[in-house]
Amino acid sequence: MKSESFASPQRRTIIYLTILISVAVVGFRLFEMQILNSESYELKSSDNSIKQVVVSPLRGIFYDRNMEVLVGNSPAYILRIIPSDYDKKLNNLLEKVIDADSGFISEVLDKNKHFSKYLPVKIKKGIDFNVVAWIEENSENLPGVDYIIEMHRNYPAGVSGSHMFGYIKEISAKQLETEKEHYRQGDNVGCNGIEKTYEKNLRGIKGNRFILVDSKRKKIGSYKKGDNDHPPLKGQDLVLTIDADVQRVAEEEFKGKRGALVAIEPSTGEILALLSAPDYDLNQFSYLTSKDFLSQLYNDPEKPLFNRATMSVKPPGSTFKVLEAITALALGSITPSTTFFCGGGITYGRFFRCHGSHGRVNVIKAIEKSCNTFFYQLIYKIGLEPWKQYAEMFGFNNKTNIDIGEESKGLIPDEKYYERIYGEKWPRSIMASLGIGQGEVSVTPIQLALYAALLANNGKTFEPHLVKGYFDETTNKLVRYKFKERNVDIEKKYFDFVKEGMFLVVNGKGTATHIRSEDFEICGKTGTSQNPHGKDHALFVGFAPYKDPQIAFAIVVENVGFGGTHAAPIAKKIVEVYLNKLKRNTSKLDESITQVESRDLLN
Amino acid sequence: MRIDYHIKDKFDFELLFPVIILFIAGLAAIYSSTINNPAAQGNFQKQLVLGVFALIVFFVTYSLPTKLFKVAAVPGYILSLLLLVVVLVIGKKVSGSRSWISIGFLGFQPSELAKITTIFSMALFLTKSNINIDSLKDLLFALAIGLIPVMLILLEPDMGTAIVFLGMIITLIFWKGISSFGLFVVLSPVFVALASLFGIAYFLASLAIIIVVLLIFKKNIFFSGSIFALNLAAGFFTDYVYKVLSPHQQKRIQAFMDPMSDPLGSGYNSIQAKVAIGSGGLTGKGFLSGNQTQLQFIPEQWTDFVYCVIGEEFGFIGSIIILGLFFYLFTRILKIAYSSKDEFLSLVAIGILSVYFVHFAINLGMVVGIMPVIGIPLPFVSYGGSSLLVNMFMLGIVANIYRTRKNYT
Repeated sequence: MKSESFASPQRRTIIYLTILISVAVVGFRLFEMQILNSESYELKSSDNSIKQVVVSPLRGIFYDRNMEVLVGNSPAYILRIIPSDYDKKLNNLLEKVIDADSGFISEVLDKNKHFSKYLPVKIKKGIDFNVVAWIEENSENLPGVDYIIEMHRNYPAGVSGSHMFGYIKEISAKQLETEKEHYRQGDNVGCNGIEKTYEKNLRGIKGNRFILVDSKRKKIGSYKKGDNDHPPLKGQDLVLTIDADVQRVAEEEFKGKRGALVAIEPSTGEILALLSAPDYDLNQFSYLTSKDFLSQLYNDPEKPLFNRATMSVKPPGSTFKVLEAITALALGSITPSTTFFCGGGITYGRFFRCHGSHGRVNVIKAIEKSCNTFFYQLIYKIGLEPWKQYAEMFGFNNKTNIDIGEESKGLIPDEKYYERIYGEKWPRSIMASLGIGQGEVSVTPIQLALYAALLANNGKTFEPHLVKGYFDETTNKLVRYKFKERNVDIEKKYFDFVKEGMFLVVNGKGTATHIRSEDFEICGKTGTSQNPHGKDHALFVGFAPYKDPQIAFAIVVENVGFGGTHAAPIAKKIVEVYLNKLKRNTSKLDESITQVESRDLLN
Repeated sequence: MRIDYHIKDKFDFELLFPVIILFIAGLAAIYSSTINNPAAQGNFQKQLVLGVFALIVFFVTYSLPTKLFKVAAVPGYILSLLLLVVVLVIGKKVSGSRSWISIGFLGFQPSELAKITTIFSMALFLTKSNINIDSLKDLLFALAIGLIPVMLILLEPDMGTAIVFLGMIITLIFWKGISSFGLFVVLSPVFVALASLFGIAYFLASLAIIIVVLLIFKKNIFFSGSIFALNLAAGFFTDYVYKVLSPHQQKRIQAFMDPMSDPLGSGYNSIQAKVAIGSGGLTGKGFLSGNQTQLQFIPEQWTDFVYCVIGEEFGFIGSIIILGLFFYLFTRILKIAYSSKDEFLSLVAIGILSVYFVHFAINLGMVVGIMPVIGIPLPFVSYGGSSLLVNMFMLGIVANIYRTRKNYT
């Protein structure tokens, strides 16, 4: 048959034999395993098998700056049924025990019909401990019924904190696809806020355990007394910068209002309180997160999911006058003794009004009285570009890099911006409005708080943040995360001038004298943000005490009108709470924890 | 009846038929092993869609002119080498190996492409008119074509695929007609390398055997000395490669030597696989009723350990049928390789056979516990699009060779 020189019949036979022998070896091996020794394997398979199970770690909890637990874990019992072993006759009994409607169990089981009958079906979350005890006692008569414990978030401090804490939710299929090495179906993952930003720190490391199980997947016992187990590693317990007392008071003050509040320790950038109102109840996410609840939040016209503290942008109003004043001083556009005349307004193309006739005023007086005429003129002395440059030094027109999710940049307009909108010959009169913080300029509450902190601490602070570090249980020490410094390069004497003006706003004859306090020297600047859609927004930005500031704040109350009236009293409340506390020096943290280590964030 | 005869003459139903059955058995096993695993939902559907697509690939390849394979050989080979280098730089790490390139949502393994282009190139070289496979120069050149991709694949590191290549290279030069001494020269380093894995005593013993064989062949002293040196080097090189292996692969080799030493670590899969198959008995526990499978004792059972599902749920009868189908397929390809009048195509067919066979042997050897756990899939049965497409592409080539078997060149 074969005439060619290649592919000899011998070689064909050798290859044939190689294949035949390999197949025969496997075939014999199968015969040995499945026919001869089948029984011993069957025994191993059905009696008990070693099974590796993943053990989820406990999620890290949140402490406030004084080690009060803000967000904790609590166990919840979940009733399960393994359909393959379950007897439907038990339906009525179980429904009675868990206080469910008749037919509830068969309904749930029906829903899970397309999964295997070996797979446990979760019947009800959050069952009572008495029910658990009853299942334990009667387990002999309850085939296919068991329970598991899952951890849920709880909020024992009575602090809402919805926008900063965030919530946890079952991982989405999409995220699971990209982070397969860390998560499995059904795992929870942080959404929003600190839960999201610090997910890697909070989630811990999964462990595994080897257990002996029978063919019904029931646990019989540990394998080798657990010698081969790797216990899970608990997630890091975060120590927040929040002061629970300040936060609680702030939340109380904002009940029924719309707006935002941010309070910062000026020397460190640590956020003492942060809220966005209206908020929502994080407890609703703890148990079976109902889709209704989420969609209800989404559709709420008050937009409770929107974090106003970091995302809402508004004109800063008169609170921006301090920035303008210090810019002019630093640039030498004016000296502290330079005066402008206020006769109730000034004309640039059209007439720009002041809310009074202040006569000749210098810069300190202008801040105290919030004299518009002074600042209308001042911005022309400074010029648009230098004004923008200094605004950016104070953190405007940029994200502050606060350690929770979404944040708006706001807007500081420049010449290019106006050219784009009004063409090359844009009317210079537009600038006058910027002088009093109205018009196109817009800022977020967190930017205003950073600005207040920089003013309070003479141009030095850190990027605002909500988490100090984590608490290391083994050493009983706080391990700090590192945050970037922020500096404004302006001489201290200029800070002193504008701060004197802010002092007089409250303690002189200024716009917020009604919040003057006997105990503490509060400094601040009121602002009213013009709102074309309704009532104006009230703003108050400041710090306390005057000498050696401990707390800086920015408060925005939406749609209420003048800032001095509505926002300033809230400032007084939180300042008093915080400074009284410092006076008593109750900071437990400093007593019990020495702060030694520093580590990079998210490492 | 004449028409029917004509079709049979051009199209080999006996080649495609066993593959279709294997694929369907694989689908059933994938379905059974993923139905209870929420993380693997959709794998069955994906495999089904890819199966249809792979069938199209098969028929397209079947109808191409065979000349194309010769033309594509060298450019394809160079492209494969480039991609193998690229994958080392930008590849995606999957269980310790950098072997995947992602293009959008698609993943692609350059080593799969390299398999077929290396077969083409070696076959092309071996069918040059003045080739003498027993001359050192030609032998080394042929080996070089085969071994360059192996080196790159070992860097990923992907031990399983490298072994497939070695099997393929040896089969090709064997089919070309290398003398038994030449074959000894090629195979002895592999033998020594394997022996050295078991320790220094085995290493020395294997060297002793080499010396005895060299004495039997009675070649000149210089030549024999060089071959001995080559073997010595292979032994030490193995030590190096062993260190290159990722820790999980090292552990698997250790676990193979003594699985019970570490029943919960590397030996875990191996033991659970044996329990699954063994407990299947004669007729199996029935579709979707294998408790080892349904309770997911073996992770990702639908890929490399897919045969366990069949063993457990369809028992000895099911397992033997699968085994028989493979045997039938292999002898069929062997027949086609033998009967082709074109030496290049004959070599290509035998090369493809070797690729299938090594996958088959390592995979089943691993699953039934007579080989270490080296993760390579079972052709046509395991879940995985990349390997299914390439396997059907290669099957298309074989069918094509059947179609053109009577053409002389």
